[in-house]
Amino acid sequence: MSALAFFFIVISLLSFVMAQLILKRAMEFSRTAGLRNARFTSLAAIGTALMTVSFFLTLGLLQRFDLSYLYPFQGLSVIFITLLAAVALKENLSARLTLGAILISAGIILVSIS
Amino acid sequence: MQNRPTGFGNPWLQLGLSVACVFVSELLLKRGATDVAEPHSAFSWTGINGLESPLVWWAILLIVASFISWLYVLRHIPLTVAYPLSRVVDILVPLGCWIFLGELISTTRWCGIALVVIGLALVAKPVAQIEERL
Repeated sequence: MSALAFFFIVISLLSFVMAQLILKRAMEFSRTAGLRNARFTSLAAIGTALMTVSFFLTLGLLQRFDLSYLYPFQGLSVIFITLLAAVALKENLSARLTLGAILISAGIILVSIS
Repeated sequence: MQNRPTGFGNPWLQLGLSVACVFVSELLLKRGATDVAEPHSAFSWTGINGLESPLVWWAILLIVASFISWLYVLRHIPLTVAYPLSRVVDILVPLGCWIFLGELISTTRWCGIALVVIGLALVAKPVAQIEERL
């Protein structure tokens, strides 16, 4: 794998993780403030834009690598998103949830490299 | 999770729908991207040339559908629970290849699938208990 490919994989993963956190915040906000306000619209727009960036970068990577090769990196998103949701969004993270997230990530990686 | 809607508005049903759409779109994207692959063009790193494939457009339609369901899920379920559960798609894809495409699954791969199932059970069980109490 070239440095360029690694760069695009990391950017794609980062933008996907950020998008999930921002969209979650947008939807949480909409529960109390509704959908017609500037804060919700801008958060949803940023989240959607980041998802789009991640989508096209993945499409570019899929032209060069097997899906099974790219999947382990997507598997890592489970750990990143679970931990960051606990830190940045102050969600409850029990030992059980953490262990579950680690097992899911490990399983996805095992499936991909086998 | 109090006062959660029932019927079609049930966030758990929407989570299932979102996962189903992602599952199908993953297979379509890989087929579409392979069909129009131009690995020697620098522009194709952007993935935009993937839009030449009709399969990619079908996949985009499904992704938009899954995205709408997912936003709804985010409104009702914590991300620490919803996101790990949504990764059930990572075992559905290899199982789909095994059942529908007759691909072989190695022992290591079965072990990986087992790990994901155990992880999903760990995440899902406390949720099921909360739901029972409601």
